[in-house]
Amino acid sequence: MTPGPSRRTALVLGASALAMIPVQGFGQSPFRLGLTPVFLDNDSAVISRLTAALSDAMERPIDLVQRRTYAEVTGLLLTGALDAAWLCGFPYLQHANALDLVAVPVWRGRPLYQSYLIVGDGVRAEGLEDLRGATHAFSDPDSNSGYLVTASNLVAMGARPETWFSRSIFTYGHRNVVRAVADGLVTSGSVDGYVWEALASVEPELTGCTRIIGRSEWLGFPPVCARTDNATSEPVAALQNALYTLSDSETGRAALAALQLDGFQTAPDGIFDGIAARMRLMDS
Amino acid sequence: MVRALRNLPLSLRLPLLGAAMMVLVGAVASQQVLSALGRVQDTRLRELAALHVEGLSVALGPLVLRRDIWEVYDTLDRAARESAGRRMVLTAVADEAGHVLAATDPRRVPVDSMIDRIAHEAVPLAQLSAGTSESTVRLVAPLNFQGRTVGRIVTELDVSDLQQERWRALWLLLIANALATTILAGLGYVAMRQMLRPVSRLARQMSSAEGDPQPIDEADIPDGDGEIARLSRIYNSMVHDVAAKADVERRLAERERFVALGRLSSSLAHEINNPLGGLLNAADTIRTFSHRPEVIEASADLLERGLRHLRDVARATLDQNRLDHAGRSFSAEDCEDIHLLILPELKRMSQRIDWSAPKDLPPGLDLPAAPLRQIMLNLLLNASAAAGTDGVVQLDACPAHDGLEIAISNSGPPMSDAARERLLSDVALSPGGGVGLRLVRDLVKGLGGTIALARGPDMTTIRVSLPAGQRGKNA
Repeated sequence: MTPGPSRRTALVLGASALAMIPVQGFGQSPFRLGLTPVFLDNDSAVISRLTAALSDAMERPIDLVQRRTYAEVTGLLLTGALDAAWLCGFPYLQHANALDLVAVPVWRGRPLYQSYLIVGDGVRAEGLEDLRGATHAFSDPDSNSGYLVTASNLVAMGARPETWFSRSIFTYGHRNVVRAVADGLVTSGSVDGYVWEALASVEPELTGCTRIIGRSEWLGFPPVCARTDNATSEPVAALQNALYTLSDSETGRAALAALQLDGFQTAPDGIFDGIAARMRLMDS
Repeated sequence: MVRALRNLPLSLRLPLLGAAMMVLVGAVASQQVLSALGRVQDTRLRELAALHVEGLSVALGPLVLRRDIWEVYDTLDRAARESAGRRMVLTAVADEAGHVLAATDPRRVPVDSMIDRIAHEAVPLAQLSAGTSESTVRLVAPLNFQGRTVGRIVTELDVSDLQQERWRALWLLLIANALATTILAGLGYVAMRQMLRPVSRLARQMSSAEGDPQPIDEADIPDGDGEIARLSRIYNSMVHDVAAKADVERRLAERERFVALGRLSSSLAHEINNPLGGLLNAADTIRTFSHRPEVIEASADLLERGLRHLRDVARATLDQNRLDHAGRSFSAEDCEDIHLLILPELKRMSQRIDWSAPKDLPPGLDLPAAPLRQIMLNLLLNASAAAGTDGVVQLDACPAHDGLEIAISNSGPPMSDAARERLLSDVALSPGGGVGLRLVRDLVKGLGGTIALARGPDMTTIRVSLPAGQRGKNA
């Protein structure tokens, strides 16, 4: 009979086995991901599911950082306070020399979305031309769908937002734009089409008080960006991998379902050309 | 109304008075309760509004300074959604210039409109009250931030629940008061009825259908020496006294008839005696001159006249004595009877009488003969006594004013005070005086008539006026 391992041998083997068990996130600093206030800024369930999915996939803690304005989040990213951020195409292009694309969301099969021009359901207007002298709600001065599209359309019409509308306000949130229009605080609003559609499925009573009177062309969906000097770092690469593979895990699918997105992919070339064209129009 | 109340019995009037006082007290107490409730509600409303305004000032101050319309709206909207009971139905915030920055109902109060449009009906915090006719009240308050006023807040508060609470309290008070008043008034009525039952019985006995006050049965007199028991005993004693007095007066009146006849009897004896001598003489003459037919004829005539006179005197006396109260009506023949009865007395006193009576009386006069004869006879005897020897007595009876007036005068001295009291008043009879004049007064009253006394230069006249058709009353 072969004698069994001694008690000492057993203790050494047990200790070695314990040392080999990976402890998730333990000893690592959290990954700081900035979020612009898209519709999910009001939904803590969406935030927690996204946090859980990314944390699982990246095997480290995730710190989702939210700020009131796009500019604040962009600023944090540029100054290195964030490892990556889910921005909008407009601020990405504003800082394209300092930022790299990590991934773009896929919505309804494409990495594209639209900007909607909406009015209250009792307002008689069929287009931007009918809104002269009205009150208008923008989302954010750095939002493509929530500002740039409408502003550039006005410029194309030879007008400016400050003079076309009797008063324009910024609500710093696409959902807030829908609320402002639905509640009658303003006559019209510029809103992210993806957010409006997402709200239409979760808060139909809110969007039901609004009416879409204008849709922009299909434009590049707000991308996830990282600083160029940090784009190839392991954490960013881990994020990119986690985003690409979100649909592979249960928590990832739950997060995508909450976001009403199909997944994330590499940004195709020229996806933000439409936004760039509008920026040029504004500068002209 | 007041007269109707006065006509109500005491047992109903007192509980009604108590109920009215309870209603009055209840109304005053209810008013006090409602006032206190209103004060409590207003205090609570002001505290709530002050908290609301202070909270908004803290939250909105920097936003108003920045003119951040969305944030102001968002803050108001969230505050409105979370306010318990939706007391604040509308809140609007304006900048220093009065331009609306945001309101909880932007359609009602649009951005950039003037706050004065809704602030003109608003009151400051100190004047805030739920006691208005409107279901909402508006409050205007300055929006202070960092020690200075940066804008204004107008809040519309729904006070309909507070008003309903007041109405509910009012109705409850009304119902409770009405219920308490009704129950206590009912109990009061029963208690009063119980307490006033002896008084009601006393009143019933006093106004008895028999005409005379009836004594209260001893069994119905409450035990003890209470007011009601004493009152009942005193009343019974008075009833017995009155009955005794009436009995005495009745006896006196009865006696008076015989007194009057007694006073006449000697005169009547003369009246019978004097003709008797003549009649006896006539009988002797007939015997003496039986052979002379003409003398017999003359004596027989004399006899017949004398006997007829005697017969009339006897009949009048008998009639006077046979007073029948339910008997026949007074007629002109009764006047003649009285004349016949009084003449001997007048003759005895050497008095002259001026007699003026109608030969016929109207058929509708219908006055009972017995009391009227007694009245006339008593007054004539009284006049004869007053006129004295060789005096003059007058009687003047004539139908007048749908009745009969009899005036009897005498040439004697004025009537004494005692006699006047007996004739004209109901004061108790003083001892020693006759009851003839008082009997006249009672009989005239019984016939519904009146008596007047007049004194001329040399004559005293008693005038009796009797209305027609009084037989029933005297019965």
